Amino acid sequence: MVIEFSINVENAGDVPFVKVSGEIDVYTCPKLHKVLTEIVASGSPKVVLDLENVHYIDSTGLGTIAHAARTLSKSDGHLNVVCNRPQVRKIFEISGLSSKNISLFDEAAKALAV
Amino acid sequence: MTSQTVCIQIPAISDFVGVVRLAVSGVASRMQFSLDDIEDIKVAVSEACTNAVQHAYGSVNGFIDVEMILHSDKLEIVVRDSGKGFDPDNAVSDKKDGANNELFGLGLGLTFIKTLMDFSEIKSTSSGTVVRMVKNAPPVSIPA
Repeated sequence: MVIEFSINVENAGDVPFVKVSGEIDVYTCPKLHKVLTEIVASGSPKVVLDLENVHYIDSTGLGTIAHAARTLSKSDGHLNVVCNRPQVRKIFEISGLSSKNISLFDEAAKALAV
Repeated sequence: MTSQTVCIQIPAISDFVGVVRLAVSGVASRMQFSLDDIEDIKVAVSEACTNAVQHAYGSVNGFIDVEMILHSDKLEIVVRDSGKGFDPDNAVSDKKDGANNELFGLGLGLTFIKTLMDFSEIKSTSSGTVVRMVKNAPPVSIPA
């Protein structure tokens, strides 16, 4: 089953909460890049990226997320990623990104609480 | 059993990489790979195609050929383009200062291919790139 790609941005208090659905690949990545760039530029110190409904991600998606996290970290910000699908989590772990400027959480509530 | 081959050709643009994922997923499923293995194969093949989309042709139109060869004991996949090639040694998998996003993505993509498949090799010249990768098939269970 292919879920249509979509991005929904809400505010959880003063924290931007970006919920992505579908597949993040070379085709859909520019849309995610645009949204994350705008949110990071808005100056919020913390951003939560919810990938609970993302069932596929590749290096282009990770590159975009890493770029956003790196920009956030320059202003002492941090990117919290909600990710409970084993395959998506595995991709983060192989890349080593989860140990740098990105924290992985299995629930949105935990990502927002930290 | 002799091998069987399934071929697919796509334009080297991002719109069609998902089509290759669907095709390779169908072939791997038919060979009774586990869901985890199928996801690994999808990522690896998608990375090879993404590499061709991003680096092979520049602004020129081109194609990507994907060959899926079903052996009795393994799935062999060859992703081929006729683009300008690249130097795999220039790819980086760690985001250091000075590394642009494309090289970072390329480095990660090559890391995924190597990590997720049982065998992989990349040959790139000025007339194109060939990525060959293999996933060993799950052992056939013999009914008692």
